[in-house]
Amino acid sequence: MNLKDLSIKRKLMLITMLTSGLAVVLSSAGFLIYDLISFRQSLSQDLMTQAEIIGYNSAAAMAFKDESAATVTLSALQAKDDIVSAVLYTREGKIFTQYVHAKAARRDFPSPPQARGYRFEGSYLEVFRDVTLNGEPVGTLFLQSDMRQWNSRAKRYATIFLSFVLISGFFALIVSSKLQKLISGPILHLEDTMRMVSATKSYEVRATRFYGDEIGRLIDGFNTMLSEIQQRDTALHHANDELQTRTLELEGEIVHRKEMQKELLNAKHAAEDANRAKSAFLANMSHELRTPLNAIIGYSEMLEEETHELGKVESVKDLQKIQKAGKHLLSLINDVLDLSKIEAGRMGLHLETFEISPMIEEMVATLRPALSKNCNTVQVHLAEQLGVMRADITKVRQILFNLLSNACKFTDHGTISVDVNRSSDQGEEWIRFQVTDSGIGINAKQKANLFQEFTQADVSIARKYGGTGLGLAISYRYARLMKGRISVESEPGQGSVFTVHLPAKVTAEITGATPAEKASDVPAASPGMKSNLDTILVIDDDSTVRDLMSRFLTKLGFHVVAAASGEEGLRLAKQVNPLVVTLDVIMPDCDGWAVLNKLKADPELAEIPVIMVTVVDNESMGFELGASSYMIKPVDRDRLAILIEKHRLTRSSAVMDAQAFAASRRDASPKKDGGRVKRTATRNDRKTAAPIK
Amino acid sequence: MRRVGLLIVTTCLLFAIALSGHAEGVDSSDSSEYLIKAGFIYNFAKLVEWPTTAFAQPDSPIVIGILGNDPFGATLDRIVADKKIDGRGFAVKRVKWSKDLRELKDCNILFVSSSEKEHVDSVVDGMKGLPILTIGDAPGFAKRGGIINFTLEDNKVRFEVNVEAAKHADLSISSRLLTLAKIVQQVAADGRKSE
Repeated sequence: MNLKDLSIKRKLMLITMLTSGLAVVLSSAGFLIYDLISFRQSLSQDLMTQAEIIGYNSAAAMAFKDESAATVTLSALQAKDDIVSAVLYTREGKIFTQYVHAKAARRDFPSPPQARGYRFEGSYLEVFRDVTLNGEPVGTLFLQSDMRQWNSRAKRYATIFLSFVLISGFFALIVSSKLQKLISGPILHLEDTMRMVSATKSYEVRATRFYGDEIGRLIDGFNTMLSEIQQRDTALHHANDELQTRTLELEGEIVHRKEMQKELLNAKHAAEDANRAKSAFLANMSHELRTPLNAIIGYSEMLEEETHELGKVESVKDLQKIQKAGKHLLSLINDVLDLSKIEAGRMGLHLETFEISPMIEEMVATLRPALSKNCNTVQVHLAEQLGVMRADITKVRQILFNLLSNACKFTDHGTISVDVNRSSDQGEEWIRFQVTDSGIGINAKQKANLFQEFTQADVSIARKYGGTGLGLAISYRYARLMKGRISVESEPGQGSVFTVHLPAKVTAEITGATPAEKASDVPAASPGMKSNLDTILVIDDDSTVRDLMSRFLTKLGFHVVAAASGEEGLRLAKQVNPLVVTLDVIMPDCDGWAVLNKLKADPELAEIPVIMVTVVDNESMGFELGASSYMIKPVDRDRLAILIEKHRLTRSSAVMDAQAFAASRRDASPKKDGGRVKRTATRNDRKTAAPIK
Repeated sequence: MRRVGLLIVTTCLLFAIALSGHAEGVDSSDSSEYLIKAGFIYNFAKLVEWPTTAFAQPDSPIVIGILGNDPFGATLDRIVADKKIDGRGFAVKRVKWSKDLRELKDCNILFVSSSEKEHVDSVVDGMKGLPILTIGDAPGFAKRGGIINFTLEDNKVRFEVNVEAAKHADLSISSRLLTLAKIVQQVAADGRKSE
């Protein structure tokens, strides 16, 4: 085992043992060596003394050459075990007498005598000494000792030394093994504690501090560290618990939210279902309401005309009342439907580019009867070069129609003027329509609610003037839809000024532009195509509609072919190759969309313009499928007439003024009411106010 | 024959001594026996203490008197020449026998040569009570009242010491000398005096 890897306990003991052992060995060895050296010294001194005595005793014998006496003297050395031999030399250097210890091995003696004094020769101590008699040398004495005292002393010392080292080592072992605990004890305890901490991961354990030394401070530091770790651990546990609690809460919340979501989804589905049901209901209702109204208005008009021709003036008035009520009801229904459509965000813009002046003139012409009803004067002021604007012409028309209707309604024997001009603001072209009347006006309080639904200036007004109160609200929303605005200035009793600002170029996300162009750019018929230019095919499952359309169009001078179903319509279209097809959408078996599709898919029939005449308000669908125009029932007969005329002109390749044609057509048709459709303002005389009646 | 062997040995010894550069020179006329004896006499002087009264002055020499025929020749003189013991030098004088013995009384050491056998008792008597170390060279000298007497044992020079006589002479003889000597008792004087 590596010495460095020994345990601290063993290291400490080893160090102690080594140190103390070294000290003991060095000190006692020093002492022993010193002692042995000095003992040797004293031995040599002893031997010298011995030599002196023997020399003294043998001096006389030497002097008198008495060998036997000298021998006797030397024999006295027998008592000295350590002296192994002795020799007396004469002055001449010859051996005079000699002595050898009985137990000693015989050996040669040095001869002649060496230098005086003592010396160590091998394991022997030898002495040469002059033998003198009264200071006069008489010979030399040689003594040889085997230093057995020294040897035995050295042996004894070795034994004592060894046993001393062993005994002291033993005691040092005992003492150090007891004392090392002072140091190793706390360290081992610390180690145990550390192991326990790492094994059990429990930081509540503390190491015990035994003493105030470095290890004590180490243990203090360790304990401090432990308590810090414990604190962090506890904090971590707390945080963990909290996190778990939060997680649980969050999970609960998530479950809760999921349930909520599910409920919301269900609610949404329910709402969507309800909305669908509502839409379906509205669609159905509009269809169901308009269909009978169609009949009422259409027949009352026919009847009125016929009755007029027959000269039954009393009946004409009644019929007019029926017609008027029907139209009011129709507009009411239309307004409500429009509003709900706007509210639902389903009102799309159908953008097209059109000339502003003709549009205004046409509208004023249409409204002239209503305008003149309260004996009002109408003035139209159109700025020079109004040019074209790009907008939803239907909605622009409706806004102006509403404003003009209101002006008529609330003005009596006054003036109503229409001003249109073009301005440029912040790099954008704006068209401003202004309708001014000299009517009853609106007060500030009324103004606040003016553009709200179902709001009229006063409840009493509703009774007096009638109306749904939806017109301005719808106008307001239409203007907003086209990124424009409507404002009003009014003084009660002085009259009102309604101003509509619309961008000259309306841009909208929902665009029906491309199909809308088709309405104006009717494709030219191929010259080689032989078309029945005065035949119009009416496809409608409603016999009332078929009847009314036939009567109206026949009056305009067209030959009418009617089909009660899609299949029949297609067949007839092939047979007669009509100028125009009017097509209903909602029909049993083969609906209008399918018929339109088939018409456009057939190369022979594709060129025939199709005018959708329906209660389904889905212009864009119609244009997408290739319809030329789109009309909502009940049909605005004048507009229908204009459209058909356009197509006829295009298809016959004859360049004619469609409006003039239409006017001539209308002029040709019997007058229903004085100046009702009479043009009062022409292109060349735009700013001329045309008083009616 | 024994003497011849000893002679050979001592001659060799002397030769060796001469070679080793010691003071004694080689004299063909000196006998080796007396060379040794001369050395012994010098050594006796070392191991014997005289009372202070024996000397006139602290540095007075130790006087060696040779009575009778001188067997040493120049040897003794040579040996003790330049030697000093306790600050005293040596003086050698040769004395002829005379009755008054006066000449003998200022000696410190008196060697009685073997030629003076008949005068031994007279000399011993005459020296009695005086601090004079008497050395004889004839058997029975110590027994007859001399203090030291040379003997020969196995051709080796030995000596006898009459401790009592020494005591009478107020001389203190070192024990070291005594251990080497043969101690002899004085024989009753009357019985042998006549010899």
